[in-house]
Amino acid sequence: MNSRRTLSSYARLLTVFAKYSLAREMAFRGNFAMKVLLELVWLAILLIFFRTLFRGVDSIAGWDRHSFLFFIGCYYALEGVIETFFLENFVEFGELVRSGNLDLHLLKPIDEQFLLSFRHVDWSTVPKVFIGAGMMVIAIIQSGNAPSSTHLILAMPLFFAGVAMSYSFLLMLSSTAIWMVRNQSLMELWWLFSTLMRYPRDIYDVSWAIPIKLIFSFILPALLVISVPSEVAARHIINPGWIAWTLIASVLSLKISRMVFQWSIRSYRSASS
Amino acid sequence: MSIINESLSKSPGISIALVKYANIFKASLIERLAYRADFLLGTFLRLLPLLTTILLWKAVYSSKDEISGYSFRQVVAYLLLVHVSRMFSSMPGLASGVARDIRDGNLKRYLIQPLDLMAYLLAYRMAHKVAYIVTSLPLYSVIFFLMGSFFDLPTDPRIYGAYVLALFLGFLIGFAFELSLGMLGFWFLEISSFLYLVNTVNFFVSGHFLPLDLLDPWVAATLKLLPMQYMAYFPAALFLGKIGSWDSILLGISIEICWCLFFFLLARFSYRVGLRRYGAYGG
Repeated sequence: MNSRRTLSSYARLLTVFAKYSLAREMAFRGNFAMKVLLELVWLAILLIFFRTLFRGVDSIAGWDRHSFLFFIGCYYALEGVIETFFLENFVEFGELVRSGNLDLHLLKPIDEQFLLSFRHVDWSTVPKVFIGAGMMVIAIIQSGNAPSSTHLILAMPLFFAGVAMSYSFLLMLSSTAIWMVRNQSLMELWWLFSTLMRYPRDIYDVSWAIPIKLIFSFILPALLVISVPSEVAARHIINPGWIAWTLIASVLSLKISRMVFQWSIRSYRSASS
Repeated sequence: MSIINESLSKSPGISIALVKYANIFKASLIERLAYRADFLLGTFLRLLPLLTTILLWKAVYSSKDEISGYSFRQVVAYLLLVHVSRMFSSMPGLASGVARDIRDGNLKRYLIQPLDLMAYLLAYRMAHKVAYIVTSLPLYSVIFFLMGSFFDLPTDPRIYGAYVLALFLGFLIGFAFELSLGMLGFWFLEISSFLYLVNTVNFFVSGHFLPLDLLDPWVAATLKLLPMQYMAYFPAALFLGKIGSWDSILLGISIEICWCLFFFLLARFSYRVGLRRYGAYGG
């Protein structure tokens, strides 16, 4: 049934979801303002932390002040993309499993993963994408060392590869809700997991941390998400092996997470009466 | 439920009241242990920020021996100790639970049953804390054992006593603070975003993220005036000998007791005032 659906009808649905979410957000403007404020507070914390880290040193694991700021901007923008499109949907997914209301969504003539991933758009986190982008631009201007067009052309797809990987981790994390009785918020679990992406991967170059670096570069490649695009754009490091692997890993994680999701849906036994 | 009813059917009295809340404690403990798979995943993930921040600080300290009076070892010890502080003071879902009970009218069960909201929640939270601390004890023992070299244990035995007291008071402050926030539910229909905001701010101002002393001096001084520092910074800094003389420790603990009383009174007061507005909606 899904194969008959064309790409355009999915795109149309996405627009409808986005419009509906916007209308819903605008019905609770105070809440919307509070959520935007929350994101700004989080940004302030990140920047104070950044300032504190660089109070006494000039560079951290090979990242100078400017490239580190670029890194934070990239992280903030990626977080914005994930939160705008996916996070709320997956939080709700866990709730649907718990309450047994998932049945209703599985019956709809549409790809379940699409429906559950894109149903809501969280407009309050859209500013993060722009603020993050602004931080990256400021970092590059301040460094006085602009990336060439090659760097930018490479960094863009790498950023989206990072989005794809983060989406896949999130999808797998929320799929576990089917097997495990979940008592903790997915939001918190996700926030904890995304800690791996928050700092440059070079900090793992300590003998005892090498296994961790390998695991989170090759099995659950969270360390590549922000580091690889930032290395290319802010530090002009072009390492073909890592770039190729990041792109391949993003495709693989999309595929694997879809398999995990479908497997979890198959073992779903509707709860409640 | 039956264990609770059983104790209620007996004649009322102080000992019965204690049995009642002891039973609530027991039932909550059993409930808590039902989620252990999820709990383990959560515990594992909760260690990730610790790991990544240690690595980050290691990279920062690669070119320096000391920053604002902290050596690398002390920062690591601090980050571990702050976990212990938060183990006592964090109250996930307390405020939002109270606000939800107010919103959908479930609060009336505290009004029609011989059950005090604050005492019930305190017993419930203590059970959660005991379950949490006991189940994560093996894990934390291993971590502290492995990282023992990062610690210079205090030589003054009084420090240990003060530390345990500070942790316990941290639990009470965390509880009463969250409870007071939850009471906002009497005045506002939806406070979840606000609570999220408070938690995010708290994460930083309590010193959970990094030792307050590493911040700009005036920021650090301001944050040390706030009650939030007792939920993370104070106990950890006390253990590391960063609070200063014994007198300043005693002063710190006295202020902590005052904040504790303040939040308990605030919660009790807003509960009283709130109940006058309360409409007990729902079936």
